[in-house]
Amino acid sequence: MRKLIIGLTLTLLIAIPAAAQRINLDFPGLEERAEEVVDVTLDSSMLRLAAKFLGKDNDEREVREMLNGLTGIYVRSYSFSKDGDYDRALITRIKSQLGTTWKPLVTVRSKTKENVDIMADMRGDKIQGLVIISAEPREFTVVNIVGTIDIDRLSRLEGEFGIPRISKGGQND
Amino acid sequence: MNLEDDLRRTLRRESPAPGFAARVLERIDRAEVAPPVREHPGRTWRAVAASLTLTALLGGWGAHAVYERREGERAREQVLLALRLAGQKVRYAQGEVRTIGSSE
Repeated sequence: MRKLIIGLTLTLLIAIPAAAQRINLDFPGLEERAEEVVDVTLDSSMLRLAAKFLGKDNDEREVREMLNGLTGIYVRSYSFSKDGDYDRALITRIKSQLGTTWKPLVTVRSKTKENVDIMADMRGDKIQGLVIISAEPREFTVVNIVGTIDIDRLSRLEGEFGIPRISKGGQND
Repeated sequence: MNLEDDLRRTLRRESPAPGFAARVLERIDRAEVAPPVREHPGRTWRAVAASLTLTALLGGWGAHAVYERREGERAREQVLLALRLAGQKVRYAQGEVRTIGSSE
């Protein structure tokens, strides 16, 4: 019985910080108001499955290497037909979920372009999780990456893989 | 010396008992006329059931492989979309930081 209690306590101690990296991305009612929605939910098993189907060229090999350290990728992106069709308090709600290990990496505030907040779950020298919040008048995007990630490597991935780039408003170029 | 005598005695050539060859031939003849194998009535059905089970298993495995492939391709596309979207936002933020840095 004592061993069981010690085992359970250790499991909880390990599991709680790991689970804390994933944030709640449920925004009730937002999907109904949006014109376009991008919803990506990939847990570790789906990431492992995806890795099996990635190609052998340089770009996809780099993605596969990046996936090795990840345990989850979650994206919610909403495009609206009118300016300000979503509540900006969502940003505060997301940030309030982040624990003390989360530090802001970059904050961009613009009156004409998008506002971006990039926050990282710093454990020692390594980034163990990333949250990107992008707020534009007609678009709201949240990306939550769980696991060890190289942010410079991530920034090099834009527009690769032979997939057209996403322009503002969610339209493919 | 005794050991050599013992070995010689033990290994000396001996003629078989009378009628030995006839007994061996008779036994061979008996073995050749083996009783016919009886057809078990359930054997055919068991074979059919085994074939059907094998077909179902192979079919199930094939369907699972197709499903896994479809899910894998979908997951791959989602990973590429998510990482590209994230990369796009990070690059934009880095670009803005560089712009501010260069204008100062």
